[in-house]
Amino acid sequence: MTPNLEVVIVKATNHTNDPASEKYICEIQGGSWNVTEEIVVGEIQGSEYVTGGEEEEKEERQRWVKNGLGFGLFMSSKLERSVVYSKGAMTPSTQTALNKKKKTKKKMPATTENNHNQGSFLGRISIRRNQVMSMDGTQDTECEEMELFQRHVAERFTELHSSTDEPEAFLSIAWLRKLLDEFLCCEAEFKAVLLMGRDPYQIAKPPLDKLLPELLDRIIKSLDVCNAVSLGIDSLRNIQRLAEIVISSLDHTLIGDGQVRRAKKALSALLSAMLHEDKDGGLTKGTERSRSFGRRGNKDKDRSAAVPFRSLSWTMPKNWSAAKQIHMMSSNLAAPRGNESSGLALPVFIMNTVLVFVLWTLIAALPCQERNGLGSHFQLPKNLSWAQPMSGLQERIAEEWKKKEKKGTVGLLEEMQKMEKIAQGLLDFTESFQFPAEAEKLEEVRTQVEELGDMCRKMDEGLEPLQMQIREVFHRVLRTRTEFLHVLDQAAKLNTPTTS
Amino acid sequence: MSMEKSFSFSSYHFSAPPRHSRDKDSEASSSNRGHHQWKSSGGEEDLQPEDHDSILRVSEDVDRFLETSATTPPLLQVPDCIPQLAKILDSMVYRYNTGKRKFGKDEENDELFLAVVDRISKISAILSTFPCDPSAFDKTTFSLEKAMSFLEKHLCTILQDPKSSTASATPTTHYHGDFQSNSKPKPPKKSSSFDSLTQIQDELCSTCVLENLNHQVQNQDHDQDSSNSNQYFPAFPQHKVSLMNKIATAMIAAGYQTEYCVAFASFRRIAFKTALQEFGYASVGMEEIHKMQWEVLEGEIATWNNTVRHCVTVLFNGERKLYNSVFSNQQSIISQNLLSDLARAVIIHFLNYAQGVVLTLLTVEKLFKFLDMYETLRDVVEPAIANGGSYLERCKKELAQEIATTKIRIVESTVAMFRDLENSVKGDSERVPIPNGAVHPLTRYVVNYLEYACEYKETLEQVLRQCLHDDKKIELEQDEETPKKSYLGTRLMTIMDLLNLNLENKSMLYKDSALRWVFLMNNGRYIVQKVKGCKELHQCMGDDWCRKRQSWLKLYHKNYRKDTWSKVLQCLNPDGLQGNISVVSPKDNNKDKVSKQMLKDKFKSFNSTFEDIYKTQSSWVVSDEQLKSELRASIAALVIPAYRSFFGRFKHHLQSSRHVDKYIKYHPEDIEALIEELFDGIAKTLPKRRS
Repeated sequence: MTPNLEVVIVKATNHTNDPASEKYICEIQGGSWNVTEEIVVGEIQGSEYVTGGEEEEKEERQRWVKNGLGFGLFMSSKLERSVVYSKGAMTPSTQTALNKKKKTKKKMPATTENNHNQGSFLGRISIRRNQVMSMDGTQDTECEEMELFQRHVAERFTELHSSTDEPEAFLSIAWLRKLLDEFLCCEAEFKAVLLMGRDPYQIAKPPLDKLLPELLDRIIKSLDVCNAVSLGIDSLRNIQRLAEIVISSLDHTLIGDGQVRRAKKALSALLSAMLHEDKDGGLTKGTERSRSFGRRGNKDKDRSAAVPFRSLSWTMPKNWSAAKQIHMMSSNLAAPRGNESSGLALPVFIMNTVLVFVLWTLIAALPCQERNGLGSHFQLPKNLSWAQPMSGLQERIAEEWKKKEKKGTVGLLEEMQKMEKIAQGLLDFTESFQFPAEAEKLEEVRTQVEELGDMCRKMDEGLEPLQMQIREVFHRVLRTRTEFLHVLDQAAKLNTPTTS
Repeated sequence: MSMEKSFSFSSYHFSAPPRHSRDKDSEASSSNRGHHQWKSSGGEEDLQPEDHDSILRVSEDVDRFLETSATTPPLLQVPDCIPQLAKILDSMVYRYNTGKRKFGKDEENDELFLAVVDRISKISAILSTFPCDPSAFDKTTFSLEKAMSFLEKHLCTILQDPKSSTASATPTTHYHGDFQSNSKPKPPKKSSSFDSLTQIQDELCSTCVLENLNHQVQNQDHDQDSSNSNQYFPAFPQHKVSLMNKIATAMIAAGYQTEYCVAFASFRRIAFKTALQEFGYASVGMEEIHKMQWEVLEGEIATWNNTVRHCVTVLFNGERKLYNSVFSNQQSIISQNLLSDLARAVIIHFLNYAQGVVLTLLTVEKLFKFLDMYETLRDVVEPAIANGGSYLERCKKELAQEIATTKIRIVESTVAMFRDLENSVKGDSERVPIPNGAVHPLTRYVVNYLEYACEYKETLEQVLRQCLHDDKKIELEQDEETPKKSYLGTRLMTIMDLLNLNLENKSMLYKDSALRWVFLMNNGRYIVQKVKGCKELHQCMGDDWCRKRQSWLKLYHKNYRKDTWSKVLQCLNPDGLQGNISVVSPKDNNKDKVSKQMLKDKFKSFNSTFEDIYKTQSSWVVSDEQLKSELRASIAALVIPAYRSFFGRFKHHLQSSRHVDKYIKYHPEDIEALIEELFDGIAKTLPKRRS
């Protein structure tokens, strides 16, 4: 399967005097581009990835034409597409040189051969790389790109790290969504750095020949994590429903024994759900339903009356363990040394690290099956600048996790932590309740119920998009894997040319 | 207890909040409406909850109260029928809870109970908005809560064990086909086991492997139990469904909708999972699938197909019916949300599985299983989601997208597998020729594979087209292709050509050029026969192709005859004999006299050449009977007349010689018989000469 990545040189033009003509644009528009999904990509120096759907692109194109910006690069794949507009100025002579190169440059004989009949995308991207090189006048674009990648990774995580001081924001649903956004950006940039303009042979030779399959293996492992965490979100929704019961029973000016009893049941169920979600990630165990919903006053048919509220049934396989998965993903993760540390091994290592870190964070924050030992985290290379903010985040999260492990409560998700605190407070209230309650108490309860409502609202608004995003990560890494496999396959074919 | 003592009409005169004070008149009127005075707390024991009359009487009072309070909202006084009714409810719940009375057994009592619940829930609502009497409020809501707890508990009991009281059929583990409706697409009738190409290559000589490619039609039960299979699942007898409906009405009316839905959804999910497990479908991680042996995974995919088909056509419909009955009195959004959540979870789970399968190493033998999955998604899941109506509204778009993505993955893999097949055919290079020129296992494998692929003709065509179209978006330079071209046909043609190329290369391994032609004939014949024998394959390859291949076969045949039998015919050429006569014996006047020695040599060389051929070629294999008899007939037509005439013309010259049998070993009939023994695949020694 071709990776469906396509590059078209739109226009190479002088920055000020020679604006790109409409003709080129029309050629692009007349082609059968089809944007199925939007993608967010970051910036690279001297160029700009423009993101968004067709509308945005059109706008950008117009802006670009108007200002006569450098040249553009269109990439499209079934699921993603980005447009690169170079901001760098070009002299007319460079432009002519480029146009010549477009036809004559043969960096890789193997792929240019394909170019004629197959239209190998790699062959064409390599052209682009050469052009960028000549345009920028940089000798080592690769080095520069790699540096940029590192810097961007550092920047992204620095921003995430900056919110650690705001307890409301850190590890909240909104924060996790941002984390995933940043992950997707890193991933896209990683692919651009590693695949664009690269001879498949370069990717298949040492040390990548070993590192890439390892990355692909991690990707497979990460799919299960995505699914497990997604199931965790399902169970959060259930907890949210229990909280809603609490709200609807206590959100009254007058609170009687009936309301308190109802709230108490829901609260016990909620707290127990949090505890269980944490302990076994939703596996039902009949005997552990001591605080279950609806059990009270039912002695003969204990099991039959309990609502297995937290078990959403769609569990991971029995022996699957999130902690083990992370451990396996991180155990053979080693920073490249010596010569390798500046080569292509580095972006692969960075991507690996980002992947493991993001998944580790998700597992720590959201309910997930079997997390014992998650606290003993993997080592991030603190000495490397790009890893520092990530490392800072990791320390913070690990700290939180330690506290949590002692208490034995639900995951680190801010909303859950808060909800747990409120629920505990409300449960205390219900347990000591006597009708009629003092006005002071009622006022206190009202505040708590309001806060609980706040949490429910946040969950109501945020959980579904978060789940969608996790799904997006799932699809994205899967596609990346396919693309890499394809390139490796190509490389293998180039290595052993078959007759005919 | 302490709070109840104040429940006396006279002692409890509640002053309304200031904003209600202007309604003093209605306060008076409402208080006057109370027909029954509050009893003191001691009256609790006096009340006989079983006394229907008193229940009815209290209820009537409450109804009147409810009626008026609806029209004259500000309530300042609580009539004592209300605590009475609350007590009645308490007592009823107590009886149910202690098992003195069973819910769901006595309809009259149940109705009475639910009617009381309904009234209390209405009262609670009124009291909570007009808190004129906190104690009364507390008491009624507490009673209501206890009743709700009981109902919820009972709901759980029903949900937990649908068949507890009625013995209905147990779910079976085997697949029942699509018993729901005949219009539903049927599961694929193809067998789906195909050995890997490498396996075939490994077991080059054991042809038995190849015979395993028979197409077992999946055994499908379309027996009678299919018609009533719906009762397997969701498996609730009617009276339980109606009980759940009543509980839903009571709980939702009382504001306990969330409790009801949480309980309902939880149990239905478990039941659903159990139903899927009964199909042998279990939750498997993506990584696990990735690592699975194909032999195992193959079976799992079959299970997946069956489960998905069953789930989507039968289970979902059953589930929807259940929800429709249980929530018939409710807003449809309730059942829609519940069903959407369930469907989403189940289908995403299924799709993950398919995506996991596609992650595995792509080898040719997996193609058919992948196509099965594709067909299931296309024919069953996709339409079910698209036509799911309002009940899937919430997740429709997302699921459609997910299914499309999964299908694309399968399409990509399918094309990759085709390419894999092409490469395997291209790359297969054996150094050792197959003995006796028999049909090569590769030929059998490829042709059977293609024949089998034609069972998926339409799907494959669709898949290949889709893939090409996707590629085309990028392939700007690609020429516009003729629209009606069959992608599968092109693909098959390519593979056939590659196979032919490969076979020609393989034929070069034979040192004996005649054997080379036999090998090519055998394989060519096998291919043509297979293609002609399979309608779909024939259609794909076309008549021209068949004609071309047959002309090749003729050429092979001709070449074989030339290479083998021309030297035999040379021995029987009388021209040399007669032409030499005058030269050899110039002094001899008798021009008719034939040189005996030369004749002897001729016969001898014929004998030995023929014997050699016989010995070698009787061990050669021509497995196609028709080809075998064609070959024999053609050889006979070539050799027998020549020998017969040579024999008839010259045998008398040697009849007087000694050891005549040394030269004239065979009668033409003998030769005929021996030719009939060629190509049997059994190396033979020459029989004793007939005397």
